[in-house]
Amino acid sequence: MSTEHEVTMEERQPPTLEELKARQARTRQNVGQDIEVLTVSMGPQHPSTHGVYQAVLDLDGEIIVDCRPGIGNLHRGLEKLCENRTYHQIIPMTDRLDYNSSFAMNHGFCEAAEKLMGVEVPPRAQYIRTMAHELSRLANHILWLGVHIMDLGTQTFFCICFRDREYVLDLFEMLTGARLTHSFARIGGVAKDLPDGFEEKCRKVVEFLPKRVAEYERIIKNNRIYYKRAKNVGIFTSEDCYAWRVTGPPLRAAGVVRDLRKDEPYAAYADMDFKVAVEYNADVYDRFLVRMTEIRESCKIIGQCLDNLPDGPYISKDSAFVLPRKKNVMLDAGAMIQDFYHVFNGPDAPKGEVYRAIEVPKGEMGVYIRSEGGGKPARVRFTTPSFYHGQALPPMAQGEMLADAVAIFASIDVVLGDCDR
Amino acid sequence: MSVAEIMEARFGSRLLETTTFRDDLTYSIAPDDWREVLEFCKESPDLAFDMLDCLIGDHLPERMEAPLQVVVHLVSHTYGHRLRIKVALPEGKTLRSLTDLWPSSNWDEREAWEMYGIYFTRHPHLRRLLTTDDFEGHPMRKDFPLQGTIGGPIRTKLKGKI
Repeated sequence: MSTEHEVTMEERQPPTLEELKARQARTRQNVGQDIEVLTVSMGPQHPSTHGVYQAVLDLDGEIIVDCRPGIGNLHRGLEKLCENRTYHQIIPMTDRLDYNSSFAMNHGFCEAAEKLMGVEVPPRAQYIRTMAHELSRLANHILWLGVHIMDLGTQTFFCICFRDREYVLDLFEMLTGARLTHSFARIGGVAKDLPDGFEEKCRKVVEFLPKRVAEYERIIKNNRIYYKRAKNVGIFTSEDCYAWRVTGPPLRAAGVVRDLRKDEPYAAYADMDFKVAVEYNADVYDRFLVRMTEIRESCKIIGQCLDNLPDGPYISKDSAFVLPRKKNVMLDAGAMIQDFYHVFNGPDAPKGEVYRAIEVPKGEMGVYIRSEGGGKPARVRFTTPSFYHGQALPPMAQGEMLADAVAIFASIDVVLGDCDR
Repeated sequence: MSVAEIMEARFGSRLLETTTFRDDLTYSIAPDDWREVLEFCKESPDLAFDMLDCLIGDHLPERMEAPLQVVVHLVSHTYGHRLRIKVALPEGKTLRSLTDLWPSSNWDEREAWEMYGIYFTRHPHLRRLLTTDDFEGHPMRKDFPLQGTIGGPIRTKLKGKI
């Protein structure tokens, strides 16, 4: 076991890929061929699996020899349902994918549907979307932190994180009327304009949260127990990440500057000034650091959105694809006919297929839509990050200790609604 | 050279159909070229598709001669470009698994098999992923009912499975 001083010397320079691979080999323990393994089923009811993920572990003592994940306990056939619903009806179903960051999921689907239909989103809607997306990132990362630390044995910190997440959920309640499943995005914009008093409240929260992050770091970052549990555990290099399609914070913790908000900008991210959080050691500890930086950057983005919020409509007026505003439906015959048409037939989407990937809090989420014309898609596929992260647990955990598997699983942030769809 | 130029220089008329819809470049290929095209996409230094974004099964019952379809989305982190490759499959035609090129295609292939009945050869363990082991039929096919099952109630025999 190296002393802390040596580790900090090693950290001073970002490690190269070869160094990381050597470190990965050093931290993982090999077991012989003819060993008698003990098979343990962790989950689907285990609290550290964050849902109903099952990992059947073959153990030699405390070392994980093999891991066989089992998913599907939360499979609801969302994609089959999508083929039988209009595009507008799919938006509430996307809430149920990743229920910790529902808005990001709504947003991903709407981006794909807008790409298919060629709908222009007005700038004010883009800004509101960007803001809501970052709020969902805050909610997700704060919840992740609490649960991750609780998995490592600290109960109190979970309550601290839940208290702070509550401020973000209050903002969502004010903005959308719901705390968890918002269904706030619409094809062509968002459902509502910002309510009165939202701006002041939101500013208070984004000024307050970075102070909280500093407090989290004071508690966690320099905590010897956390450091020993997380440092050099579950090393997953950038090559491994590409091979297993691990994206988002675990990829950025491996030293890859890859963020679809920068690389393929959508919504109003092209106007925003923020930096991509990158760390280099590719372990559980660095994934924690990446997420903490992301919370700070998200607060910055929300502040910029509020500063530069343009005036104008919050939803497009493209009547072929966009639901009319409810206020008009009650007063205007044309809007009423349009509303009936949209509710019964759905928007008249062109024939074709599109794929749109966006950066949701957990990684890259892509939506594939194949349309044969008409109001219902012929095939929808949600390429969700948790599906691939759950699959990457065996290569991450092999050779590690059983207790580390819990830390590793939490660090890749799997939500089973997202995974099983 | 752009992705389109490289692909057309290498494969020419073996790319059965080229479409660009909303700036998404799509190539349709024959099932027999499947492995060669995807190996080239991964290995070629000018393409360098190092990540398989997703592998999707699909069912088009109105296309009688080839009702099944596999769609692959590739991403390159080196160049930042994307590519979509489609292959139309007759019923019963198998494809070579991609798990040795991109290990992440493992669960995608299992899902495509259980949902559509598209068989991948040389896959490490092509079992059901999201449905139970005794589920019958391929539920994402268009002829599968939206409600209910075709093989009777599921989870019939749990003895020996837990």
